[in-house]
Amino acid sequence: MPGAQHLTEAGVVLYAADDMPLWRRPLARFHASGCAACTERIAAYRSDQEFVRRMAAELPHGLNWDRMAAEMTANIRVGLEAGECVARRAQARTLSTGWRVAAASAGFAALLVSAWWLNMPKSQSASLERAVKRIAQVRPWRGGPILPFEDPGPLVEISAAGIQLRENGGALGVSQGLARPVSVTLSAQGSARARYLDQETGQVTITSVYAQ
Amino acid sequence: MRNSLILLMLCAFAPAARPQQQAFAQQQAFAQQQGPGSSQTLAHRTDIPHDSPVTLAGDEWGGSGATIRGGAYAIDVKLALSLRNSSQRRVRGVTLTVMAQEATPGGKGSLSVPSLDVAPGETFTVRGDLHLLRPIGAESSPMVEVSLDGILFDDLTFYGPNKLLSRRTMMVWELEARRDRQYFRSLLEQSGRQGLQKAMLASLTRDADRPQFGVQMVRGRATNTDGEKDVRFAFLHLPDAPVEPMDGVARVAGNEARAPKLVVRNRSGRVVRHLEMGWIVRDQQGREFLAASLPYEMRLPPRSSAQILQDASLRFDPRTSLEGMTGYVATVEFMDGSLWIPSRADLDDPTLRRVVSPSPEEQRLVQIYRKRGLNAVMDELKRFTN
Repeated sequence: MPGAQHLTEAGVVLYAADDMPLWRRPLARFHASGCAACTERIAAYRSDQEFVRRMAAELPHGLNWDRMAAEMTANIRVGLEAGECVARRAQARTLSTGWRVAAASAGFAALLVSAWWLNMPKSQSASLERAVKRIAQVRPWRGGPILPFEDPGPLVEISAAGIQLRENGGALGVSQGLARPVSVTLSAQGSARARYLDQETGQVTITSVYAQ
Repeated sequence: MRNSLILLMLCAFAPAARPQQQAFAQQQAFAQQQGPGSSQTLAHRTDIPHDSPVTLAGDEWGGSGATIRGGAYAIDVKLALSLRNSSQRRVRGVTLTVMAQEATPGGKGSLSVPSLDVAPGETFTVRGDLHLLRPIGAESSPMVEVSLDGILFDDLTFYGPNKLLSRRTMMVWELEARRDRQYFRSLLEQSGRQGLQKAMLASLTRDADRPQFGVQMVRGRATNTDGEKDVRFAFLHLPDAPVEPMDGVARVAGNEARAPKLVVRNRSGRVVRHLEMGWIVRDQQGREFLAASLPYEMRLPPRSSAQILQDASLRFDPRTSLEGMTGYVATVEFMDGSLWIPSRADLDDPTLRRVVSPSPEEQRLVQIYRKRGLNAVMDELKRFTN
């Protein structure tokens, strides 16, 4: 008789519930195929399992499932809150409000500086720099003299090198030509004249520049 | 919420940057077309009227160009114009207007050549090298236009639109030239070659010793009045001057002087329509130099006085402290168009001799003496009939 030793009680239960390990299942099947007693015990266990499943699938008479679901949910929440009370809280690291404002302001300032640098002519930037330096020198916030406001308009400058025009402290132009003039004169009407001498012929050429 | 705020700020800036972007785009386009640091060939025009007594025989603009500087074109004008005298009179002076942009400071200039003696049919050359400014985006082409402002002939007649008042200026130069040629001829007659040579050398020495100080001039209100005081003018006495300065004062603070105010009297029997005063300043070390000329348009009847003001501020080297000022009458124009200039005797004043530059004619003759010697100067004096 194949598998002369009968299946143990545990083996019968496992085999009936299909929970027996795979490597033992062929031996158990081979024995049960030739042993009426074991086959009868396996069938009895499977019948009992089926009966229990049918019984479990039926809800008890008069059960209020909604109330039971609410009670279960409440129990779960109570459990979670209790867990929070006793557990250590891990806080997310964030910047303080002051630093956030500073970061936003820095970005805004960078935007302004970029827009100015890309679009403003250099002469305007130079004028702004001079004005800021002037304010820093005078320091009106420390009770110094009132910052003089000058509205100079275009400015004509003469020197031994020639004529130069300035506006807002910057140079609009350079001295007229590469040659050094023999004399330069200024007119209060807003013009300047430079006199040049041809070294060979002596011919005099007078260049005038009008600021207004 | 935060992201929405940032987007709103960016949108707010975009319209403000658009005009600048356009100008910047123009600049970029120009630079890309020409290459970095390069200048474009200058679009130019020379406008000589068809009825002008001079005609354009040729022009050269080699080396001229324009580069971008900030929001404007810096225009480098290097020109040589050949003009032919197509009239029957001798040309003694010419003034050309060189225009990039009329309303812009530094957009207009001029070239003048005094002490010419161009016979009918002859050609002469006017050379100039100057820098002008023209805003980017200014309409109209060409970039530079050269036009005739005036021509002065040997009979002191004038042709031209005279927009730069070149008639008066060239008349003064021509009268100075005649005065100085007459002076040197007299010197040659009285003292011979040695006398003339001595005068040439003295002029050379004065030119070399004459100080040229830096001066800035601005028109407009300067409100920095800290430490200002009124400083009275002293005046050089020129006995033959038709206008006599009686009193004058200017506001002085350290190295700045502004708002000169003068009282002048017309001693002549003719109406004066233009007066030019020379403004000499003295610093704390006693050095004197010509600061500026003060031109005044007026209508001053005979034997009457007037107060004249000039809305100008002069600024000198910061190390300079102004201690005194002197004024003198440089030019007077009468209503009939005739002019008065100081005589050689007037110019013998030590202060004037020290600070006032010689006339263009004297400088030309002295340069001829330096390069070609005394005989060439004598030939020049003989060439001119007046």
